[in-house]
Amino acid sequence: MARLNPESSVLGPTTRVTGRISGEGALRVEGNLKGDLAITGPAEIAEGASVEGNVKAETLEVMGSLLGDAIASGPIALRSGSLVRGDLRGSEVSIEPGARVSVRLDTQFELDLGSHRRR
Amino acid sequence: MAGTVIGEGLSIEGDLTSEEEVVIQGSLRGKLTSSDAVSVGSSAVVEADVNAQSLTIAGQVTGDVNAAERVDLQAGGRLIGDVKASRLTIADGASFKGNVDMDV
Amino acid sequence: MNDASVIGRGTVVRGSVRGSGSLEILGRVDGDVSVTGDVTLGEDAAVKGNVSGVHVTIAGAVQGDVRGSEAVTLEHGAKVVGDLTAPKIGVMTGALVRGLVRTDGEPPLGAARRSLAGQAARPAVTAPKPVPAAPPPRAESALDEDAPESDDAPESGPIRASREAPPPPVAPTLAKGAKAKKKKKD
Repeated sequence: MARLNPESSVLGPTTRVTGRISGEGALRVEGNLKGDLAITGPAEIAEGASVEGNVKAETLEVMGSLLGDAIASGPIALRSGSLVRGDLRGSEVSIEPGARVSVRLDTQFELDLGSHRRR
Repeated sequence: MAGTVIGEGLSIEGDLTSEEEVVIQGSLRGKLTSSDAVSVGSSAVVEADVNAQSLTIAGQVTGDVNAAERVDLQAGGRLIGDVKASRLTIADGASFKGNVDMDV
Repeated sequence: MNDASVIGRGTVVRGSVRGSGSLEILGRVDGDVSVTGDVTLGEDAAVKGNVSGVHVTIAGAVQGDVRGSEAVTLEHGAKVVGDLTAPKIGVMTGALVRGLVRTDGEPPLGAARRSLAGQAARPAVTAPKPVPAAPPPRAESALDEDAPESDDAPESGPIRASREAPPPPVAPTLAKGAKAKKKKKD
């Protein structure tokens, strides 16, 4: 399943990286990363995979486990079955029922209760 | 079929171990270990000791290399470091500097 | 069995809302909401206070904590500034949350952080993180006195305005950082 797309990387299920991963393109983690990840493209933590460290990416989808903070310019999605602990900031963060989380969401938006006044 | 691919734009600082095939087109500085085949692509820059089942080098490797089977240094490839392997090929146009131990 | 109540669109309640049965809020409540049944907050509705029920479904705006003994679901269009706690939590695409979100069984973020091994420097996730300090000045409900704050039991006996105690302080961030968040209440 080795994709030859230069913009796309994969850490396979038996692969463990201790250290920092950074750069351009997308990364799918199917194994284990202990360290920070900072990429310009989409990041994905597959089911059974784990990242212990901070993540910075364009978008983030977690099916496995993330222990660390994450910042995404786009959306962050925590899927059912995922385990996530840390601070998350994305353009939006969605959480599927079934996700196990202890997270702080720092989504930027205006809360205007006034607009919910009676009409 | 699982595999690990480090794309051209990606850079790893640290250790990578795997039981699968590893293809590197990006850069890695640290240590690289696989019980399967490792392929260092033409755009790859590896500053690490590499331990693998077999190793193909078309890019740059600086570090000692240890393969259970074979090491193939391809044209355009560049290896600076010692090699320990039962088979070694160095293609025309490849560049190599180091010691070779084939007494495995 | 379920007495279902509705706070209509044109209605504003100032003070806490408590009781048995389910509740649908289509208007506005300035105060805590705590019922033994389900709570549904319509998309044009708002609560300035904590919300607690069994299945709590939010499609509107909440400035306060939301707790469900079974589930909390934020639907598209929901906007919540406050913490979410439940065994099952769903935040749908298009729902916006700012606060702590914790499913039952997971350690509060402070403790969770301490258990992280070898975590590198965190990305600066901007300054005023709303770590709720001890006193909860949020809900303005005069009627509702400070119920005993029980952290873990969602339905602690009589359904008071159960506001969960704040999680242990995360990091040396601001102690009274709550203010920064609470400022939002006009």
